[in-house]
Amino acid sequence: MALVELKAVRKSYALGETMIDAVRGVDLEINTHEFVAVWGPSGSGKSTLCHLMGIIDRPTSGSVSFHGQDVAGLSDDRQSELRNHSIGFIFQSFNLVPVLTALENVMLPLQVRGEPRELAREKAMARLREANIDSHAHHRPKKLSGGQQQRVAIARALVTDPLLVIADEPTANLDSVTAHRILDLMREVNHTRGTAFVFSTHDQRLLDRVTRQIQLSDGLITEDKIVSA
Amino acid sequence: MSPWIQIAARSLARNRRRSLFTMLAIAFGFAAVNIFAGFTEYMFVSLRDAFIYAQGNGHLTIFKKDFLTEGQIDPKNYLLTETDLATIKAVCQADPRTLTVTPKLFISGMISNGKTSTIAIAAGVVPSDIAAINKRATGTIGRAKLFTGQPLDDKEGFGVGVGTALARKLKLDLGSDAVIMSPTVDGQMNALDIKILQTFDAPVEALNDKLMIIPLSLAQNLYDTKGADRVCVLLNDKDQTDIMRDELTSTLAAKGIPVEIKTWYEISDMYERTKKMFDIIFLFLFIIVMGIVVMSVVNTVGMSVMERIQEIGTLRALGVKRRGILKLFALESGLLGAAGCLAGVILTLISWTAIKLAGPSWVPPAISRRVPLEVYLVPRYLIISFACLILLSILAAVFPARKAACSNIVESLGHV
Repeated sequence: MALVELKAVRKSYALGETMIDAVRGVDLEINTHEFVAVWGPSGSGKSTLCHLMGIIDRPTSGSVSFHGQDVAGLSDDRQSELRNHSIGFIFQSFNLVPVLTALENVMLPLQVRGEPRELAREKAMARLREANIDSHAHHRPKKLSGGQQQRVAIARALVTDPLLVIADEPTANLDSVTAHRILDLMREVNHTRGTAFVFSTHDQRLLDRVTRQIQLSDGLITEDKIVSA
Repeated sequence: MSPWIQIAARSLARNRRRSLFTMLAIAFGFAAVNIFAGFTEYMFVSLRDAFIYAQGNGHLTIFKKDFLTEGQIDPKNYLLTETDLATIKAVCQADPRTLTVTPKLFISGMISNGKTSTIAIAAGVVPSDIAAINKRATGTIGRAKLFTGQPLDDKEGFGVGVGTALARKLKLDLGSDAVIMSPTVDGQMNALDIKILQTFDAPVEALNDKLMIIPLSLAQNLYDTKGADRVCVLLNDKDQTDIMRDELTSTLAAKGIPVEIKTWYEISDMYERTKKMFDIIFLFLFIIVMGIVVMSVVNTVGMSVMERIQEIGTLRALGVKRRGILKLFALESGLLGAAGCLAGVILTLISWTAIKLAGPSWVPPAISRRVPLEVYLVPRYLIISFACLILLSILAAVFPARKAACSNIVESLGHV
């Protein structure tokens, strides 16, 4: 069974009086262990596709299934629970909660699901160590560099042991050295835990490291190929 | 600590100036409501105590049944007889809740200084009983001296007190002699010599040139009766007023004395009217203050929501439910309300202390002389306003927070 399955998915937005088709009838399957890049020019629909796979957006038509379950039939609360338990997000601008320390940011998804504070703290520290940012655990985001913030964001995305991580341009704001380190970290997690990663990107550094490249153009998949990383 | 409390508290601290001003708005509102409530409480207690203790009316007044409707036209048949008075006194005094039982006889007639006469309304009282009731007064009323001259005496049967305006009108000084005239219960004219022992301020300005206090024996002599038109009963607990009224009514009816018993709050028009007036003013003030607080909190939370839309989107993406976002902002607003209320308590205490130290005085409605103006600290008002303000702060956050919670996650994430 595919981890994520999109069938004839279409997503339209209203822009003034005109409707824009961001995704136009896409069929796609993402499996566990995959390390996938969705790429294409700006406006090709790659972010929209990632949002649909991450269950933070609903398709205009077609269906999105997660682990065999049609997400359209789930309530908003149930979708929230699904995201919390099975999906991790890494954002281009890191999106850490500014008033929480790095450790508290990583603890947050666990506390959302009601895990005891001490247990959440233990798991969060372990993830920060894996991301090699544990020395900055008690720093707030504004005291961290871009690379450090992205490491915290990765630790936060992985702390719940998700089946899927959606990463929107995760290396866009990082220098080459940091970008490579971050990619190494994500690749390692993909190898060791089987966590599927889907990146929305047009960063060649990232495209060179993935095992599958899905090219989008004008809301349609123009190429879907397996590559050796 | 819950992550929501952490986020809420730190977000408030992050926008220090905005949080401080909102907190101060709540604090000033809280203090304004409580200072005014403390003043109204002082007013109500003073009015109540003035009626019950200073004017010697007690908590209950017993009349013969229908006296209040028929007694003015046909006083003879609606006076409590000497036997009735003895029975009522015995029944009341047998109850441990009773402190003092005293008969009164109100008469109307004329007072003359030998040259000029004017209308007078005289309350015939037992001076020692009234003095016993007066002594029970506490606070402002207990400290206030309500007459000039000397107290009336049970033995000095012709010594009377007159309203200050009445004394001025007839040029009566302390120690002056005068004559009081009144019809007897049978309608014959009667007159007796009196001596002015005291002047006092009547509780109602319009009565100050008419009202007299005379010993009951003098009133009875003038009226040619051994009876009285009412019996006042002072209780040891005001909360027993209604229960005692019901019990006494049935007990006295069983003993063959049909009576009508009025409570202090039924008779005291001044108390009732003043209370209603101040209750309405208080309600207006409360609504205005609460309105300001709600608008202030809505503004603060609204701005906070606007600034944190991306954060809200992130939290939703991490799996926080819509009600979790509502909870977060409600908590933030509740904390702001609680901090404002705590500052309000401090501000109230400072204002209360300042008023106490300054010791202002004024002439209240029920007393025609200057007395200290006080503000009471009323715990129940403090608790109620604390709870109301926190609740309103939380409710005020619901609208902007609900909008944020229901917004599209993708749009929120893209918001900068």
